Amino acid sequence: MSQEVRLQVIDVNKTFGITKAVQHVSETFYKGEVHALIGENGSGKSTFTNMLTGIYSKDSGKFILDGEEVNAKNQVDANNHGIAIIVQELGTLDGLTVAENIFLGHEEKFVRFGIKNTPAMNKMANDLLKQYGFDRIKASDMIEDYNFEDRKLVEIVKSTYFKPKVLVVDETTTALSQEGREELYKVMNRVRDYGGTVIFISHDLPEVLEKSDSITILRDGVYIDCVKSADVTEDDLRKLMVGREMTGNYYRTDYGEAVSDEVVLSVRNVTVPGQIKNVSFDLHKGEILGFGGLSESGMHEIGKAVFGASFDREGSVTLEDGTEIKDIPTAISHSIAYTSKDRDNESVIMNQSIGDNIVLPSLDKLGKGPLKIQSGKTLKNFANQYARELSVKMVNTNQFVSELSGGNKQKVVLARWVGADADILVLDSPTRGIDIKVKQDIYQLMDRMRKEGKSIIMISEELMELIGMCDRVIIMKDGEPSGELIRSKDMTENDLIAKMV
Amino acid sequence: MANINAASAKKEESLKKVDRTLIVRELLPVIGLVAIFLLFNILTQGAMVSNLSLALSTVYSLMIASTGVFFIMTMGGLDFSQGSILGIAAIVICFVSTKAPIPVAVICGILVGAAIGAINGFFYVNRKIKSFIVTICTMFLFRGFIKYATTNAPVTGSASLTLAYDTTALKLTCTVIIVAVAFFFFRFTKFGTYLKAIGAGEKAAKFAGIRTDRMKFLIYVLAGAITGFAAFVNVVHTGSVTSSGGNQLETQILIALVLGGMPISGGAKVRFLNIIVGALLYTILNSGLQMMGITTQTMQMIQGVIFLIFVFVFADRQSISVIK
Repeated sequence: MSQEVRLQVIDVNKTFGITKAVQHVSETFYKGEVHALIGENGSGKSTFTNMLTGIYSKDSGKFILDGEEVNAKNQVDANNHGIAIIVQELGTLDGLTVAENIFLGHEEKFVRFGIKNTPAMNKMANDLLKQYGFDRIKASDMIEDYNFEDRKLVEIVKSTYFKPKVLVVDETTTALSQEGREELYKVMNRVRDYGGTVIFISHDLPEVLEKSDSITILRDGVYIDCVKSADVTEDDLRKLMVGREMTGNYYRTDYGEAVSDEVVLSVRNVTVPGQIKNVSFDLHKGEILGFGGLSESGMHEIGKAVFGASFDREGSVTLEDGTEIKDIPTAISHSIAYTSKDRDNESVIMNQSIGDNIVLPSLDKLGKGPLKIQSGKTLKNFANQYARELSVKMVNTNQFVSELSGGNKQKVVLARWVGADADILVLDSPTRGIDIKVKQDIYQLMDRMRKEGKSIIMISEELMELIGMCDRVIIMKDGEPSGELIRSKDMTENDLIAKMV
Repeated sequence: MANINAASAKKEESLKKVDRTLIVRELLPVIGLVAIFLLFNILTQGAMVSNLSLALSTVYSLMIASTGVFFIMTMGGLDFSQGSILGIAAIVICFVSTKAPIPVAVICGILVGAAIGAINGFFYVNRKIKSFIVTICTMFLFRGFIKYATTNAPVTGSASLTLAYDTTALKLTCTVIIVAVAFFFFRFTKFGTYLKAIGAGEKAAKFAGIRTDRMKFLIYVLAGAITGFAAFVNVVHTGSVTSSGGNQLETQILIALVLGGMPISGGAKVRFLNIIVGALLYTILNSGLQMMGITTQTMQMIQGVIFLIFVFVFADRQSISVIK
């Protein structure tokens, strides 16, 4: 690895709506290195490389390749600048031959007087395939005759035959078998050997450590650090990826309080195909039970499963009185509440008023007579009462929820369930994307509810809030509980992280 | 501090402005209705007022059928099979009326309408096909049945149908009852709030405890049943059904509701008044143009232009993508 700069990234930014996917990222990539890019899902790795390769446009910042600024308009344009990408999902197109896929966007090489010379194209493609050692793939065959793995190999040829200066490998290895991986590693080494730069995205930390020279860590779209692979261990990387900053002491302050023995909800052998396997636990009266883990650990599905919102759920969720929760209306009528991580789609009804959003699950309770006749005034007072109790910032309850900020939307959802007087609350990422002040309000509300004897299941990606708020934390890994920790002053993030990855 | 006050004052003002545009949106159809009514009276030298019952002879079945479609559209769905439902139900009513008492015939009509609605609902809800595709298919299917049944001759009902039942009083009473009952449930029970919630955000509505699938299915059945009843009100006027029975009712309903100020995407902004104002506006516009002696072709063009203008004004561009 030389010290000659290949690609310089200066203050690159990208936002999607209100999500800041990549914020002020600057980094230098050198010639002849494999430079890994790691981070949790949603940390901005793919967004970053997609901007480089022209799949997305960047909001601001510069990519300087060999001293010249590049602004790739699309992938073909990026190829012409010497930048290539192998993507995570299928990167080849159905309905075309192998050769057509390899030279997609560069057919002009074979065009004479407006006519494409197909035999020449096929011959060159076959030569390339042979050179890479993929003889079994024939250039003139249709691409759909080959399986996923072989198509990935074709894609590798497609993105590297022109000796790119920068090759992005975006989580490709997860899709490949060991054999395919070896082929990919060979290609990566070849690119490095001729002085190219490989930007390698992977979730597999041992692989990252073994194959890369340097590693850049992103978290929530922000550059965290760049380290030499030789200087770090897997554990170091994990901490850099997951670790979160410590903030204020607005969590619960009590320790050592005994939790009631009364079980209000018991979950037995719950399995949701592809999400969680054989999860069993008990929730006690007045307890805050936390679930932590990586995003894909299945912990978010636990909330849905308890609320009766999972598809194809097996196993049982039973209340104290023996009622089985199998669907959402049963859950709600038995005093269970749920706030989703996907607040805008699953929690609030965006194009509806704050008032209607709050009263929705309580309409039966508020109606009079056998027909449950609704009085506008009762509904309005009810909505106002709980909106005020949660101090929702609004003009009046007729205002549409879509006009509110994330924190206020969450307050509307909580007002709905406080109004419905739910005894069991399942809160999935209740403080996601919410500023500190509102967070504190939510923590205090949870503490108050706990003292009133209500039980809370809190699912969160923020380890500090799990440590700060929960009587008990269950850590999920690959869809199964991998450990349980009891509330204590000495619990640290590292105790949780150790069980997560 | 002064800055904050100024900022909040500005916010208030912009909110008032939003309120004002909302009021304009709600009042425009009513103003349009009054204006068009006055205009045609002036143009026809009062012929419209003096022939009001004639001018409004088609409003009854339109308004009744629109009530069912209003529920569907509030949920964000569409129904293009309404005309075919009316045609089939009318054929059934005519056929049964010659063999059994009229009330039995009416019940048969309602059941047939509900059955077709159930077919729509099944494919829409259980097989997850977009509602406009499903209902366009059923529109063609049942239009085919209507043509088949009326190949040789129109299906004629029993004579007592037109003799005993074709009175303005009866048609008016039926319409008022249907609309009033629908209004009561829409406005004063959770039914209306649920429908609007589904239209505004189905997934979130589901997570708030609404059985969205069951609701969607039942609303299609209900809309079919209501149109089955509308077929009775229609058939007492005509006495028989030809191959064009109920033809284009679906577009008439859609135009009427949009003229009445209904957002096509449904949701929280729908008003029950949309049905009444819309059906009246459409009918008056139609009969007014007819009374002025304008040819059918020109009439259709004029209607098209007016429809476009209203869609332009009422389309809720933010949530237009949620049509299911």
